[in-house]
Amino acid sequence: MDVEKLTRMANQIAANLDYGSDKEKVALATADHLKRFWNSTMCAAIVEGHQKKLIDLTPIAGRAVDLLAEQKKKSA
Amino acid sequence: MSAVFDSYERAKDFGTPAPAPSTKQITLTIDGVEVTVAEGTTVLRAAAENGINIPKLCATDSLEPFGSCRLCLVEIEGMKGLPASCTTEAKHGMKVTTQNAKVAKTRRNVMELYISDHPLDCLTCPTNGDCELQDMAGAVGLREVRYGYAGDNHLSEKKDTSNPYFTFDPSKCIVCSRCVRACEEVQGTFALTIQGRGFESKVSPSQNQPFLDSECVSCGACVQACPTATLSENGLIEQGVPEHTAITTCAYCGVGCSFRAEMKGQEVVRMVPNKDGHANHGHSCVKGRFAFGYATHKDRIKKPLIRETIHEPWREVSWEEAFKFTADKIRGIQKKYGKDSVGGITSSRCTNEETYLVQKLVRAAFGNNNVDTCARVCHSPTGFGLKATLGESAGTQAFDSVHKSDVIMVIGANPTDAHPVFASHMKHRLREGAKLIVVDPRAIDLVRSPHVEAQFHLALRPSTNVAVVNAITHVILSEGLEAKEFIKERCEPEAYKAWRDFILDPQNSPENTEKETGVPAEEIRGAARLFAKGPNSAIYYGLGVSEHSQGSTTVMAIANLAMCTGNIGREGVGVNPLRGQNNVQGSCDMGSFPHELPGYRHVSDPNVRALFGKEWGVELESDPGLRIPNMFDAAVAGQFKALYVQGEDVAQSDPDTHHVTKALSSLECMIVQDLFLNETAKFATVFLPGSSFLEKNGTFTNAERRISPVRKVMEPLAGLEDWEVTQELAKALGYPMNYKHPSEIMDEIARLTPTFTGVSYEKLDRLGSIQWPCNDKAEEGTPTMHIGEFVRGKGLFRVTPYVATDEVTTRMFPLLLTTGRILSQYNVGAQTRRTENSKWHDEDVLEIHPHDAEQRGIEAGDWVGLKSRAGETVLRAVLSERIQPGVVYTTFHHPFSGANVVTTDNSDWATNCPEYKVTAVQAYKVTQMSDWQKEFAKFTDEQLEHLRRAREPNTVS
Repeated sequence: MDVEKLTRMANQIAANLDYGSDKEKVALATADHLKRFWNSTMCAAIVEGHQKKLIDLTPIAGRAVDLLAEQKKKSA
Repeated sequence: MSAVFDSYERAKDFGTPAPAPSTKQITLTIDGVEVTVAEGTTVLRAAAENGINIPKLCATDSLEPFGSCRLCLVEIEGMKGLPASCTTEAKHGMKVTTQNAKVAKTRRNVMELYISDHPLDCLTCPTNGDCELQDMAGAVGLREVRYGYAGDNHLSEKKDTSNPYFTFDPSKCIVCSRCVRACEEVQGTFALTIQGRGFESKVSPSQNQPFLDSECVSCGACVQACPTATLSENGLIEQGVPEHTAITTCAYCGVGCSFRAEMKGQEVVRMVPNKDGHANHGHSCVKGRFAFGYATHKDRIKKPLIRETIHEPWREVSWEEAFKFTADKIRGIQKKYGKDSVGGITSSRCTNEETYLVQKLVRAAFGNNNVDTCARVCHSPTGFGLKATLGESAGTQAFDSVHKSDVIMVIGANPTDAHPVFASHMKHRLREGAKLIVVDPRAIDLVRSPHVEAQFHLALRPSTNVAVVNAITHVILSEGLEAKEFIKERCEPEAYKAWRDFILDPQNSPENTEKETGVPAEEIRGAARLFAKGPNSAIYYGLGVSEHSQGSTTVMAIANLAMCTGNIGREGVGVNPLRGQNNVQGSCDMGSFPHELPGYRHVSDPNVRALFGKEWGVELESDPGLRIPNMFDAAVAGQFKALYVQGEDVAQSDPDTHHVTKALSSLECMIVQDLFLNETAKFATVFLPGSSFLEKNGTFTNAERRISPVRKVMEPLAGLEDWEVTQELAKALGYPMNYKHPSEIMDEIARLTPTFTGVSYEKLDRLGSIQWPCNDKAEEGTPTMHIGEFVRGKGLFRVTPYVATDEVTTRMFPLLLTTGRILSQYNVGAQTRRTENSKWHDEDVLEIHPHDAEQRGIEAGDWVGLKSRAGETVLRAVLSERIQPGVVYTTFHHPFSGANVVTTDNSDWATNCPEYKVTAVQAYKVTQMSDWQKEFAKFTDEQLEHLRRAREPNTVS
């Protein structure tokens, strides 16, 4: 998977959901969106890329991917 | 036992249109018999409804009465002279005599005049036996023409055969004006008039030009209305009067016109719009009515083809061998690369039953959710945005709702080109006085055309939709024009409050957004006030909304606008996505998305998986699958290896052609099921011949959720209908499917999908068509949704911040390219390019503003290079002031144009719907084709040679 592309997509989702002062809420909404619409291979690729600091996620997108990783771990 | 077809007979014509719906009935006496009709009915129609057929020529029930032919004269007690029954309204207690010596003599005299200047070649005339003039001569008992035939006449008038589909023979014209009136009232183009007076009167297309050179859009309404052979379809002229008919549904756009296929044997003589069609009411466009010849074009592939790689010739094989080859390949690939390395794309042109089977095959036989549909690249933001706000992924109204609208807003849509029959209905309403707001970077035809003019044309800069819609709603709320009661009663209060605070922020004011959008603040304020005033305001939108990086956001902003003005839940209002393809709505309904099973239910829901799993006999995957762009990325990355594509041409229609063709070339096996060797099939290793809409039974669902029947009128050229092909492939993969008829597939869909439980072929035969939801709560379907409450209960306002696209103009790419469609060609053009429609549009051109052209030394007709960061192509330039300086425009109907070589991988944040409408480009004069076009020509020649060698194995090219 082109993880650079996934990074752009995740940043874009976060930017579009970003409204209001509660950034944790935005990160959660972003994580939910990824979980709902992204295939698990894509989710795994971005989690790995983020955890290994190989990609450049915005702060909200980065937090969202952390939340996604937690959620995926819980349901695994 | 019910017959398979209906015998050909002319549709019953009641003479004048039905009156406006009224509960009041009146009773009158016609020829001594008491009849009861609705108030407002004409005497002519009252008689016809009761089996009394008063002779008529200029009257027909698709047009307002005209009163010119003077044949339908009757005697009415208390009224002087002989009134025309077509222009006389029936009144309670009236006493009408339709036949007596006086009336009979007058009618014969009228016919005598007509026949004195009419060719007497009935026996060799195209409408022999099916001519209203012949019928009337018989009906009035015409026996002689006392004037003789030696006087001045029009018998030597020359025929106009310029239009490829119909012939205009003025020598047979009786100047009844039906054609002129049809062009005005039904189509709304006003291309025809009667030129001259008295004996000099003649039908004149535009300035007395041949039809093809005039403003005529070849919709055929005039041909259908003509009571003589003057305007006749060339099919009728060549083949004669049809002998049987079947009602079916058009396979072109999302209007879904109902047609009568008029046949001789297995040949279509002509397609005539069905008067009882609930979407089109007897009208059509050039494509549906005339451009059906592709179904029998010589390019049709009739035998399955296989090969190991794309650089070797095809081999014609039997169906059995093709299915075994395909199944072995798929299973081999899954064994080697994993079960998720394969997937499918369903067709938005095939039937509901067929797309249901493809997604079932992917989920049950492939064992994953890697299935997607072309809605990905067009209206997937509609699905996302309307589900989020209103609770259902579909438009809220029936097309007929437009007749009750007072204000119509058209955003990012060009209905006169892309949904022509609906546009004709809209124009009818606009001519009656409804107001129009157009939001589009281009001055589309609707902005100003005969008797139609937009009150506001908000010519925004491409990509600023959200800013404009937010600004409109800002005005409505800041000026206190919102529908407070509706919001309080019908919408979630907390979400409304959050949205209200957001929208009232000064950053969303028209004054603040003016610089970004290019729309003057006063224009936004005027449009907002008009929309809020209503009382019935409706929004119609298209791909100019969805094909953007904020497509889903714009859809939600539109829903917000409709909700805050209380314009949902009745006729005349609503949110109306103009879905493009004949069955893209159906394809989405049938579970073609990778994250949703049929009926828009998420694959992660264990109850839904259990329901389908039980019926299908398998355990279903809960992980969302890959979307089409993700499939391409995964293919390039080496993880996705096989693809089953039914009825789609992603190599031409999807953006960033370089990336798409790289992805397709990376596959080990691609199966294309289609009518022709299209651009995608050139990358295929298995070709399964498909069947056109004339060759199968099934249903299509149009943009108003209307499920309509598709009826087989000829045997599939390759021997199998598309659903049978998918079924056999499933069996070869080891997954049994044993449907005997598409009705069984629909029955299964109805069993499993709450919005479809009441749908069946029996009900479709009975009702003609059904708008879903159709279930216990709505046994005959649901024209208008969200009445009383939204599907999700309360409507949800969603905050819609404007986020500028990444695709910005630079010094290198200072222009913005936007793309669209044209009337005569359809989508990738695979069908229409194989018909005479190419006479109107045989190449895609680049529309460029004269100012931009002048700066670049470009003149009309020059070859122009068009370059973006994605690629480069060459098109011929056309100068146009319909677009603003800084914006260029083209269509994508011809593969050689390479429009999508230039479009990028930018897409909607929520759905990955490509941002076709915004690409930063540069345009410059060139003297040769682009490198891509040269490569494309070479590759195309190679692939056509591979095909030729399969079909003619022992010849040299």
